[in-house]
Amino acid sequence: MKHLTEEQIVLHCYGDATDGQAIDRHLQACAECRAQFEDVKALLAEIPLTPVPEPPEYLEQKLWLNVRDRLSAEKSYRQFFSPSRWAMAGLMAVLVIAAFVAGRFWPHAPDTQKPPEMAQVNVNPQRVVLVAVGDHLERSQMLLIEIMNADPKDRTDLSSEQEQARSLLDSNRLYRVSAQKTGDPAIVPVLDELERVLAEIANSPSDSSPKDLQEIRSRIQSQDLLFKIHVVHSNVTSEGDALGKAPVNQRL
Amino acid sequence: MEITDAAVVAQVLAGDKDAFRLLVDRHTRSIYSVAYRMTANQQDAEEIVQEVFLRAYRSLARFELRSSFATWLYRIAVNRSLDFLKAKKMTDAYQVSDNRGPDEEEREIQVAAKDPGPDRLLLSAEARQKISQAISALSPAERVAFTMRHMEGKSIEEICKTLNVRASAAKNSIFRAVQKIRQQLGPLVSVAK
Repeated sequence: MKHLTEEQIVLHCYGDATDGQAIDRHLQACAECRAQFEDVKALLAEIPLTPVPEPPEYLEQKLWLNVRDRLSAEKSYRQFFSPSRWAMAGLMAVLVIAAFVAGRFWPHAPDTQKPPEMAQVNVNPQRVVLVAVGDHLERSQMLLIEIMNADPKDRTDLSSEQEQARSLLDSNRLYRVSAQKTGDPAIVPVLDELERVLAEIANSPSDSSPKDLQEIRSRIQSQDLLFKIHVVHSNVTSEGDALGKAPVNQRL
Repeated sequence: MEITDAAVVAQVLAGDKDAFRLLVDRHTRSIYSVAYRMTANQQDAEEIVQEVFLRAYRSLARFELRSSFATWLYRIAVNRSLDFLKAKKMTDAYQVSDNRGPDEEEREIQVAAKDPGPDRLLLSAEARQKISQAISALSPAERVAFTMRHMEGKSIEEICKTLNVRASAAKNSIFRAVQKIRQQLGPLVSVAK
């Protein structure tokens, strides 16, 4: 008598074997196969369902906020994505930082000849820097999101992302050095981590293998970089908004 | 009367993006369960759920209203979990919770079958650990197919539609998963008399 295969027995336990009736007839006739069938059936009955822990109460709210923020950010990214725009923004950022640093350290005497109303300055250099940094973080965040969402099996051409990364890398270096000088404890570590990831993206081969892409993604994930950038970006934006709303006589 | 999922989808596609929140609120827990069963990790499950809703939102225009939104979302969740398992090296043991509190000591393990039969096996903690290890060692395809069939009770047809595989491939994955579990368990199983 030809016995049933293990596969036939396992699938029959689930009711998925082809020709189930023939298998039933065989099981009635063959004690050996019947014993194995009972063993497998008993084992399957004892494999526990995975107990799913109760998720946090706020999970739905947290997910909705994250999803909404990501979708809004992606929309902004698509609207403002332009290499020439980055180049111009980077150049402006360099000029603004240079002006800010020069303004802080260049000695100047009060100009008593200037009319009082001319003493009021409408543009706060610090706010401009914060806006520039915020913009940089937002663009970096979008690049990382693109990397995280890329399908490893489909995407191997990273040349577009690498171009973005190179542009962001230059700006990031400037902002990091500036933040180190001002001693900002929150932003320096994030810019530091971001710089490493941008460098990795920029320096990887343009025809990266799925494994290369996955390594970059794992690095972003392990550092929780997207979340950190999000937090710093929020703080920078809030600070910039607050400076923008401050009365004129408090700006300088 | 509660607004249907299809109506909410139509609303979102008409431009009311905030309406998508209603779908998030309704389906988060069920998708979370699926993701957790696949990955056995809360953090990973949360990440997957977020990705599922993002993908669902981006693909909403391709959702065909003739099928259930819940089913469509479930399929995205399974495939996202499969992608996740493939991408991530699952070296952690698949945890079957053994941290039962004092009032849980008398409770039996949840079983998959409704009618366990007379020769019930009582698995020791070691056996359960072996099962955990065996499941964690399954390939992503085997793990997902086995979880869908054994834990979720999905039919072969549903597994095929979700994973876009042939019935023979789905059955083979399930068989290999059970075979590996049996091999891991080996002589540890004893029949309760």
